[in-house]
Amino acid sequence: MRSGMRHTHGRSARGLALLCLILPAVLAACERAAGNDDAQARERRTGFRGVLLDAPLEADFTLTDTRGRPFRFRDEARDNVALLFFGYTHCPDVCPVHLSNLAAVIQRLPYAQRSRIRVVFVTTDPARDTAQRIREWLDAMDPSFIGLRGTVDEVTRIQHALHLPAAALEAARPDGGYDVGHAAQVLAFTDGVARVAYPFGTRQTDWLHDLPILLVQLED
Amino acid sequence: MQWWCAAQTAAWSWAWRPYPGVWLFILTVAAAFAWLRRRATSRDDGMRAAGITGILLLWVALDWPIGALGGGYLASLHMVQFLLIALVAPPLLLLGLPAGAVPAHARVLQQATHPLLALLVFIAIVYGTHVPAISDAAMATQWGSFLIDMAWLGGGLLFWWPVVGPGAARERMSPPLRMGYLFALLVFMTGPGAMITFSDVPLFATYELAPRVDGIAALDDQRVAGLLMKVGGGFIIWVAISILFYRWHRTENQLIEREMADVA
Repeated sequence: MRSGMRHTHGRSARGLALLCLILPAVLAACERAAGNDDAQARERRTGFRGVLLDAPLEADFTLTDTRGRPFRFRDEARDNVALLFFGYTHCPDVCPVHLSNLAAVIQRLPYAQRSRIRVVFVTTDPARDTAQRIREWLDAMDPSFIGLRGTVDEVTRIQHALHLPAAALEAARPDGGYDVGHAAQVLAFTDGVARVAYPFGTRQTDWLHDLPILLVQLED
Repeated sequence: MQWWCAAQTAAWSWAWRPYPGVWLFILTVAAAFAWLRRRATSRDDGMRAAGITGILLLWVALDWPIGALGGGYLASLHMVQFLLIALVAPPLLLLGLPAGAVPAHARVLQQATHPLLALLVFIAIVYGTHVPAISDAAMATQWGSFLIDMAWLGGGLLFWWPVVGPGAARERMSPPLRMGYLFALLVFMTGPGAMITFSDVPLFATYELAPRVDGIAALDDQRVAGLLMKVGGGFIIWVAISILFYRWHRTENQLIEREMADVA
């Protein structure tokens, strides 16, 4: 009986010791694997976790920034990695999630890299998005983010040129508010040309993987 | 309408929402608790209060707003749910069961609630349900979220059984062993707690890509979740260890006093 108990205790101790070895390894693997499965599959195919565009896109437009000054996108995109996103400040889900994840990643990059990234937000809801509102909304995420306004026609033309669907106002809610349907991807420009898009669902690990590669492309 | 709290794409709203599956489940637990108490030969109002508190805390953890926020918006509230469902409600429910409510001597029950097995199964559940891929896949659906909650509750009941189970269940281990058993969980919970707290990136897509609640950043929310697991979970376990120690100390003192009186 005693020998049987010792045997059981020995097995238990070995089981616990094994568990102590296996569990940290499982946790480490989990942390490494945390990310978007689709993005990781894309990375294996293309080297990018973002979606490679079928054909490179160029954008040359001028809109008004939140200080009321004209902002020519092409000039900023030429020497920096420019991340262009169309959205609106009343957006309840995609816009704040996408941009705040991007802000969290950019803030973690070294200054030399951070200073060469421009995040450009173009409002698709100019009726409600005043320059002041856009500035306050972007400042809450990252004061370096650039906010642009234009007329609906101007913004629609830019979206068409970039092969993006035009933003569309949705039916008014009972509280008088309304949502705006818009493209949910961030377009990444290097040397003034967009080659990669980042759809909603792009995670911080994905940005951390791709931004340094985009910066290297810029150097090349 | 959802029957169980799970991840949603809609922005969070403080407007109340019903979760009928949660109500049905709580009613079932309450009915089972009452039935088990009726089976028992001894009754104690103090224990009944513990059981009722356990059922109420279970309800709080599963229903709106904590259930809804933890189900799809905030990792920190998901962790609050874990603490309530797996570490707080189960010991209270078990304390609410008088001796004889469950046939603690039954062979099958004795084997299933062997302390080592109970500890290993509970640790496996704690680790498994905090693996990002498993958690994300489960929280995306109501059935998956329901399974996670049931795994926590079932694992919690199993884990606490040898410590505060009814009647003979808690006599299986001596008080020092029971304290060591609780301490072992504390050691094992350090792993996932540290991983969640110190990760540089959000680990769970469910909460990273969820609509923001009051502008709380995903990584800040996750760090609070990790701290809650480590500090909140640690607090619960240390409270339990302290109570066990106090009771053991008091019993030993009473024994010594009785022996001294006999000698005198």
